[in-house]
Amino acid sequence: MSNYYTDALILRVSLNDKTTRTEQIPRDIYEQYLGGRGLGVKILYDELAPKTDPLSPDNKLIFAVGPVTATKVPTGGRYAVITKSPLTGTIFDSSSGGYWGAELRRAGFIAIIFEGRAESPVYLWINDGTIEIRDASKVWGRDVYETTDYLLNETDDKAQVACIGPAGEKQVLMSGIMTDKHRAAGRGGVGAVMGSKNVKAVVVRGTQKVLSADDEKLTEVVKRARLLIKKNAVTDKSLPVYGTPVLVNVINEFGMLPTHNFQLGTFNDAGGVSGEKLLERLAVKQYNCFGCPIGCGRISKAYGEEVGGPEYETIWALGPQCGINDLEWIAMANHRCNLMGIDTISVGSTIGCAMELVERGLLDAPIRFGSTENVLDLIDDIAHLRGLGKDLAEGSKRLAAKYGAPDLAMQVKGLEIPAYDPRGVQGHALGYATSNRGGCHLRSYLIGPEIMGVPVRVDRDSVRGKPELVILYQDLSAAMDSMAVCRFTNFAWSVDDYAALTAASTGLQLDGRSFLEIGARIYNLERLFNNREGLTKEDDFLPPRFSKPLPEGNSRNRIVELEPMLSEYYRLRGWDDQGRPTSERLESLSIDTS
Amino acid sequence: MLFVFGVDPMDLTIEQLAKMIDHTVLKPDTKKSKIKQLCDEALLYNFGAVCINPVHVEYAAELLKDSSVKVCCVVGFPLGATLSEVKAFEAKKAVELGAHEIDMVMNVGAHRDNDYELVQSDMEAVVRASGDAEVKVILETGLMRDDEMIKACEIAVDAGVDFVKTSTGFGPMGATPHDVRIMRETVGPDIGVKAAGGIRNFKDAWKLIEAGANRLGTSAGVGIVEDFRWQQYSDAWMQPDKHCWDCPSRLANLNTQPKDVYLWYKQRCVTCEYRHENIFND
Repeated sequence: MSNYYTDALILRVSLNDKTTRTEQIPRDIYEQYLGGRGLGVKILYDELAPKTDPLSPDNKLIFAVGPVTATKVPTGGRYAVITKSPLTGTIFDSSSGGYWGAELRRAGFIAIIFEGRAESPVYLWINDGTIEIRDASKVWGRDVYETTDYLLNETDDKAQVACIGPAGEKQVLMSGIMTDKHRAAGRGGVGAVMGSKNVKAVVVRGTQKVLSADDEKLTEVVKRARLLIKKNAVTDKSLPVYGTPVLVNVINEFGMLPTHNFQLGTFNDAGGVSGEKLLERLAVKQYNCFGCPIGCGRISKAYGEEVGGPEYETIWALGPQCGINDLEWIAMANHRCNLMGIDTISVGSTIGCAMELVERGLLDAPIRFGSTENVLDLIDDIAHLRGLGKDLAEGSKRLAAKYGAPDLAMQVKGLEIPAYDPRGVQGHALGYATSNRGGCHLRSYLIGPEIMGVPVRVDRDSVRGKPELVILYQDLSAAMDSMAVCRFTNFAWSVDDYAALTAASTGLQLDGRSFLEIGARIYNLERLFNNREGLTKEDDFLPPRFSKPLPEGNSRNRIVELEPMLSEYYRLRGWDDQGRPTSERLESLSIDTS
Repeated sequence: MLFVFGVDPMDLTIEQLAKMIDHTVLKPDTKKSKIKQLCDEALLYNFGAVCINPVHVEYAAELLKDSSVKVCCVVGFPLGATLSEVKAFEAKKAVELGAHEIDMVMNVGAHRDNDYELVQSDMEAVVRASGDAEVKVILETGLMRDDEMIKACEIAVDAGVDFVKTSTGFGPMGATPHDVRIMRETVGPDIGVKAAGGIRNFKDAWKLIEAGANRLGTSAGVGIVEDFRWQQYSDAWMQPDKHCWDCPSRLANLNTQPKDVYLWYKQRCVTCEYRHENIFND
């Protein structure tokens, strides 16, 4: 039996001397940051010295789950990885579904903090209360699938494995951490940090019953939450039937499906790589993460082999972004990325960037838009830092700069922008620019209101009211990531629902406003971290391409009008005109920076 | 706080909004389990009524007995092209089985033939057959020009109905603020106006209420009421939309509307004061 606050523990692993110790989450941190992303951000802000090299032993790698993890709260199986990113130099959290997070919580832990660097490759084996740091030399160099199978065989076949692939071992800046073989905490190079510490995997087996503060109340609130998921067309129909690839046709129709490295917003062959086509051609079965009634995951068959995914972002990155229309090949390329443990968004976007460099005669390489030729080999080369792959492994920002065309990198703060051309969505564009972890669609998913009309449709071309909505979504997302649940619940639940679920799970007195305040506190602390690292207003930018109109499609003639939104955003945030949180704002959020 | 539509949105409570909703399932494939779910939700949210086909009335009435949620039954649905006697019989049976409200579809073809006598007698037959039950007349506004809609409202008032209603949800167009506003201006304050068809979220609902609707027919009632909670966290939701979004002229469709009606709608686009906004497809 394990209560989040009173029983569950933070595990601190010192890799330098292979020792471990446990500690409880301090009450004030629990109340102010909950867990998950918030907990990790608070620990990292407090404990990491400014300007720490992300790939040095001094960086910390934190895995964290939240107070609703492994409870009956739908989608409550997620975990977050928090660290200083080697790709962006910012504070970074990357999260994933699957089953690993719930297993960690059932083992009695809410977080693991890795410190230092192991002398040789190791993996951590947590078997309920028993902790071992074991030799990983036999799996070092192996891909994610082999590693997972080997470690399950060596520990307990009912355990869950979070591991890096060869890309993480090689400290590729876009490498991720994989669970369930094909689920990824993919973004920001968190796998490289794990690799830099010589940690190959964290294997967990947990059998404890997870307790909530008010089980009766939680049952009631969960019943309501499930009903809302059932009543929502996105969570009850679109996502279960098609998965996230349902977005391919939708976004293409709006002229926002980035094609040929964001040179176009419409992909002629979108139908051929759509969710509908995936269902017809490759679908094997649906995949649900722990406690998820939605089931957006896919298992597909590519060239006779069962593979995970592909998700919408992956289809875009390895498809239209590179001008590629072969869905089965995309599924296989996604699988290759999963084997290597590498972020499909950044890989695909960076390859698209390289293709444009080739198109413009700035790079001599055997790849070109619209062709799959040599791309699978290139993915392997990226993961193993071979040949041209070594250049691409550092991401599009460094690649484009090296070849003299920095403007061709479609990134913010070094993180590749995902699959929505911001010229067609002003609010979402502001979200990209102000995201604390760089070009990310999940910090403030305004595609919901601006494109899908959820909860209501707002004018995608208008800048009015957008800063306010971006802040609302950023704060809500930060709090959601800290409780921690899946972003897709956002189509069905409102702020009040998240607050009610968290309150019933924790016993904390929370309503919608105080829940959002937790999110705001996290967001401001992340901003402080980034400011401390030297990031400024100049980093809240978008690539210059988005100041020129798209030439075709249903978002043609539009540009991003960032500047007026940014000023208003800072003002509403309570930040100064350089984007720094004011002391008044920090005080109002009870953030102590002393 | 913005007062985009001339009324403070904060004045409308979730409970008030819920009571204005006719929680609706009218699809031909509706199973009994769906009616059970519909009624359970109506009780949970205290909706005004459930709106269903005649075959489900008895079951719904049993589920909702001793509650304030009414049973509303559609009649002559969805075409309105059956005989007055049949509509009257349908209404009478529905009331006997427990319906408190009758939503009948008017004879649209007769109206376009200017056979107003038949249109009115058709309505009167249902009003008589419904006894104490409230009667709403569905105009199917997407099949009419504005002047035809006004005439239909006048006839409905003369026929003694309790409500005029915009659409079936199966016709060429759903409810728009433009149509609701005209209907309200025509029938005055003593007759109800029900907006139905295509109401998907709380902003749609709110705009129709602001235009004069006092009842909303929608299958998205749960989402509308739940999402209404978002409204308290930002005024930005209520920023004015592009004019064309809600305009029936923009929604007109040659494939589903009579040619003369379609062209009448589109002619309005040419002279519209907002035509400079009519550039993109969204």
